[in-house]
Amino acid sequence: VISGFHRTRRGIRAGLDQDQRGLLDHVLGEVHDLLDDGRDGSGPDEDPLFRMVGIGTAVEPPADPALARLLPDAHRDDGPAAAEFRRYTEGGLRERKRAGLVAARACLARPGPILLDDAEAQAWVVALTDLRLVLASRMGLEREEDHDRLAAAAGTGDPVQDQVGFLLMVYDFLSWLQETLVESLMAQLPD
Amino acid sequence: MVTSPIELDEPRAEQDVQLSPPWVTLVWNDPVNLMSYVTFVFQKYFGYGRVKSEELMLDVHLKGRAAVAHGDREEMERHVEALHGYGLWATLQKDD
Repeated sequence: VISGFHRTRRGIRAGLDQDQRGLLDHVLGEVHDLLDDGRDGSGPDEDPLFRMVGIGTAVEPPADPALARLLPDAHRDDGPAAAEFRRYTEGGLRERKRAGLVAARACLARPGPILLDDAEAQAWVVALTDLRLVLASRMGLEREEDHDRLAAAAGTGDPVQDQVGFLLMVYDFLSWLQETLVESLMAQLPD
Repeated sequence: MVTSPIELDEPRAEQDVQLSPPWVTLVWNDPVNLMSYVTFVFQKYFGYGRVKSEELMLDVHLKGRAAVAHGDREEMERHVEALHGYGLWATLQKDD
């Protein structure tokens, strides 16, 4: 029975079969590697002192649009301010996102039913967001109506569209899974 | 007449507050984040109530953006960094 996340007296339980665990493990790993890639302040020209205090060299958004969506500009109409903000925060943001993806992945490796504590549930709900943002970017899902367009184009037999169709299936699964987790987490919050 | 330094300092401090424009944190609409998740983040991170969080989420969804916090620049920078951590599309700017 497919059940997603739900609250139990012992914490939030993930009802995932082996195929779903394998798929999640794979996608979590892919997004982790994506965040590892490129300028994360570990280049050879990096000043070790700057690195120690968390100041990187990145001032431009990443060239990969998926990565740029995970690490967006903090100022919309002020390039220099956005660059300055990025220099001071991008390295740390990448690191926190990677740590969350690792924490989520570690839960999957456990034998038997997966019970999440608060920190793990938090890592999962954010990780599912990052996964969906990356998949959406890869599929060209940029406006709300794109979802229907992509769904309609899938299954027409065209190999490229079939690939998008598969990504869309994964994306929809992640959306549903996240919805069950958010519901479980919301039940804990005061009105 | 002798003016005490305390009296001199007070109006200056007040002037400083007026001179620094307040800043705002904006969250922008995107086609990916779930409405329930955006509401959850506003409740969890800002500690806003359910009703206020849902109103802000609907502003993001229907109007394209919502001002979710006001304050000094450093505070707004902290909010934007945290919201990026949650995967929301957030920016800060002067609140003109």
